[in-house]
Amino acid sequence: MSAAPAVSDRSTPRWRAWLLLAPMVAWLTLFVVVPTAILIVYSFCERDEVGRVLFTFTLENYHRVLDPVYLWIFARSIGYAGLTTVICIAVGYPVAYCIGRAREEWRQRLLLLVMVPFWTSFLIRTYAWITILKQEGLLNGLLHQLSPTASPLDLLYTPTAVVIGLVYAYLPFMILPIYGSVEKLDGSLIEAAHDLGAGPLRVFSAVIIPLTLPGIAAGTLLVFVPAVGMFAITDLMGGARVPLIGNVIQNQFMQARDWPFGAALGAVFMALFAVTYWVMLKFGAGEEETPA
Amino acid sequence: MKPLRLLLPALLALLVSAVAARAAGELNLFGWSEYIPQPVLDGFTKETGIKVNFETFASNEELLSKLVAGGGSYDLVQPSDYAAEVMIRQHLLSPLDPALLPNLKNLAPEFRQRPHDPAGRYTVPYMSGTVGIVVNTDRVKTPVRGYGDVFTPALKDRIVVLNDTREMVTWALYTLNLPINTITAENLARARPVVASWVKLVKVYDSDSPKTALLNGDVDVGVVWSGEAAILWKENKKFQYVIPAEGAHQFIDVLAIPANAKNKAAAHQLIDYILRPEVSVLISEAFPYTNPNLAARKLLSAEQLANPASYPPGHPKLETFRDIGKDAAAIDRLVTDLKSAQ
Amino acid sequence: MSTMVDLRGVTKRFGAFTAVNDVSLEIASGEFLTLLGPSGCGKTTLLRLMAGFDAPTVGSVWIGGEDVTQLPPYRRPVNQVFQSYALFPHLTVGENVGFGLRMQQVGQAEAAARVAEALALVSLTGLDTRRPHQLSGGQRQRVALARALVCRPKVLLLDEPLSALDAKLRRAMQLELKRLQRQLGITFVFVTHDQEEALTMSDRIAIVNAGRIEQLGTAHEIYHRPATRFAADFVGQANLLEAQLLLQDAETVQVAVTGGLELSLPLAAWPVGATTALIAVRPEKVHVAKRRARSNFYASAANRFEARIEEEIFQGATDHLVIVTATGTRLGVVVANESAFGEIFHEGDRVYCALHADDLVVVRAD
Repeated sequence: MSAAPAVSDRSTPRWRAWLLLAPMVAWLTLFVVVPTAILIVYSFCERDEVGRVLFTFTLENYHRVLDPVYLWIFARSIGYAGLTTVICIAVGYPVAYCIGRAREEWRQRLLLLVMVPFWTSFLIRTYAWITILKQEGLLNGLLHQLSPTASPLDLLYTPTAVVIGLVYAYLPFMILPIYGSVEKLDGSLIEAAHDLGAGPLRVFSAVIIPLTLPGIAAGTLLVFVPAVGMFAITDLMGGARVPLIGNVIQNQFMQARDWPFGAALGAVFMALFAVTYWVMLKFGAGEEETPA
Repeated sequence: MKPLRLLLPALLALLVSAVAARAAGELNLFGWSEYIPQPVLDGFTKETGIKVNFETFASNEELLSKLVAGGGSYDLVQPSDYAAEVMIRQHLLSPLDPALLPNLKNLAPEFRQRPHDPAGRYTVPYMSGTVGIVVNTDRVKTPVRGYGDVFTPALKDRIVVLNDTREMVTWALYTLNLPINTITAENLARARPVVASWVKLVKVYDSDSPKTALLNGDVDVGVVWSGEAAILWKENKKFQYVIPAEGAHQFIDVLAIPANAKNKAAAHQLIDYILRPEVSVLISEAFPYTNPNLAARKLLSAEQLANPASYPPGHPKLETFRDIGKDAAAIDRLVTDLKSAQ
Repeated sequence: MSTMVDLRGVTKRFGAFTAVNDVSLEIASGEFLTLLGPSGCGKTTLLRLMAGFDAPTVGSVWIGGEDVTQLPPYRRPVNQVFQSYALFPHLTVGENVGFGLRMQQVGQAEAAARVAEALALVSLTGLDTRRPHQLSGGQRQRVALARALVCRPKVLLLDEPLSALDAKLRRAMQLELKRLQRQLGITFVFVTHDQEEALTMSDRIAIVNAGRIEQLGTAHEIYHRPATRFAADFVGQANLLEAQLLLQDAETVQVAVTGGLELSLPLAAWPVGATTALIAVRPEKVHVAKRRARSNFYASAANRFEARIEEEIFQGATDHLVIVTATGTRLGVVVANESAFGEIFHEGDRVYCALHADDLVVVRAD
């Protein structure tokens, strides 16, 4: 407003900045740092028969994480999440690109359509998919109308259903960041590439893709990380046939009364995220401009 | 400032109502979700003036971890048999006063003094059930009598089972004629190939609502809670319930008072209220499990009593679970490994 | 000289809006042609029609004797320098310049040599590993130029390439562009709204207004003989005077202009049969002195009159005056900061004025 506060700001910038940051710092401390610390401490503890955590140091839990059973589950979870991410990029990129290049007055409306599913609860949306995919469901009903002799498709409770569910749940998280970088994309760069002799495909691979890479990287992070840990979709749409790491962790807390082991799995899981994030940051940010 | 000014009166009002409720008596109940009909609690409050604060849990482990951690102060809890056994052993429950529970006489003797509470000092059975086989007889024409008839290649990908590792291992132990409550490495090693062959046949694992896959026609046979089977049977008589010939897990969900309960008198009042036949029958109508209350059973209709999932005919071999402590981890690893290895 | 670019009856409509309205334009090989006009006049659309970013609604575009109307931009022998430069931020300077060669699948060794050559041409040797954001505005401009030139286009299209540079740099770049164009002999089509830029660089200037080319000619022709009121007004400054025919003889006409001043001009300049016309007079063509001069110029001038200085604005090299004649005709005048006799002008001074008949240009009013 007036110049006076700005001057005093300059004289005491530090504590004012901290004051502004305080709510966030408190929030992070309370809900991120402390729980993470508890998780890590628990992962080195033992437990009694009731599931009480005993504060005696042990590496047993990490030893169990390295059991091939759980390593294999980690690998499979990464596989599912990776496939989900790839499909989300393949499906989400064209959508994000079209929205980002659409006329301005249309963009908000189209984005709204992407967001609409979020207005209903996750469980309801998942049950809607069950209604579509089940043996006597909408999809098979439609197929029956088209070809009465064909045998119904067996979709629900298959790995395909799990991937459908994961892609459906996380697609918007891929579309939004890609849209963000497509929208920022300078149209004259595309024209320049055309002008320099690049056909549509070359423009896409040599200019559009590299310039929207930060969006793809952000989307990949937003889809891959939560998809690795998802357990509800695996249970509801996959029939819980194939355990993924999220299910195993959930099981330790909800059924097996083994919090320390669950904590150890969680800690390894978080380390995995950190590594993914670091890779993405290096990979994605390398292309981003740094101020001259 | 404004939100605070609005908030203060609201807080005051809340405080006042809390004090008022305490004056009339208040009861903190921690029970299974979808297991205690709201009209039962409303009727109790109307009659006694005691307000019931109802919190729910989804698994015995959730209940156990809350009680063990000392979180929350509950006056009445609703564990299953084996969880009650742990609580008794850990001195987490308070003995009941039979003098305050005149309606105990309504209970069938076979539901009291079971291994989890041999003297019947700590627990009162609420509802009981079994884990058995439900068959869609329209689709499955071969006779199904036991686990061996469910887990056959002929029914591959047409089976739903509970998503519970101990249940599955228990069924395997039954088919091998091994004890279900004594878990040894040797017995698990023998059960392993059986479970391994079963996981290849199962289509859906679901503990929360196994009836859904059956109703949707995605599977034709299941090993499920008897309550789920009873609902299916009410829906359509083609869903037949069979207690497996090899033996079946029976569960008894009980009411018990935690050692640190503040309002034990009110807890006794609610237990005795639930034991009244006309109250107990309300529970049976909403949740068609096996009602241990003989007086209440007299009030049930012929059709309700004929539901094989609620009141199985004959004298099947039924056993409750005992707490197996850390052996649960071995079972969990075994089943996870086999499911994962497909 | 052969024709390099040929627009034949080109019209471009965007919905109800006509951006280019029936334009025909021939640009000679090796020519530096400027499309000059205010923003929104259609000059950029004309450029985009040549580049292939837009397709004409009516008419055809020919480049190098070939009908390219249906060809996409990447198949046309033209390259463009964009107003924003449009350098690829994810590529180095060298990769930016080599982009077109990569698209044309030119061999690596040849491409490297041509990139180096192009960078040398714009004096950027040694910067090929930099990223665009590490360069100054002028350097980016040169990269954009090198990137287009390295493809050896038949026509180089430049869309206000200097508008983002500061005045000093812009002037230097104008000269450099002109030098490059002469050196390479490539046809340049240059779009600008800056008349000074157009006058400095162009072989010919096309004045574009409301989707049409109002006048096409050399800088001299455009400046000295504007064809329309718009051309006279847009390029340089002009006194625009409504003229009423008074007398006409075998060689001259006598007219009265706005405010009553009577002037004579050659009959040949006057539109046949017209009784009124619009006359443009460049302010520096009005000669003023504080005493009645005896110079040849003054003596030879067909029009001589007296006036009073109503306003004087000193601008360093020049002095800008507004003079009023006895009858009330107002004229803007630009003189050197002192008269030929070393006189200094002040408001209120009486001045003697001379105006050559040839410097009265009749322009179309529309």
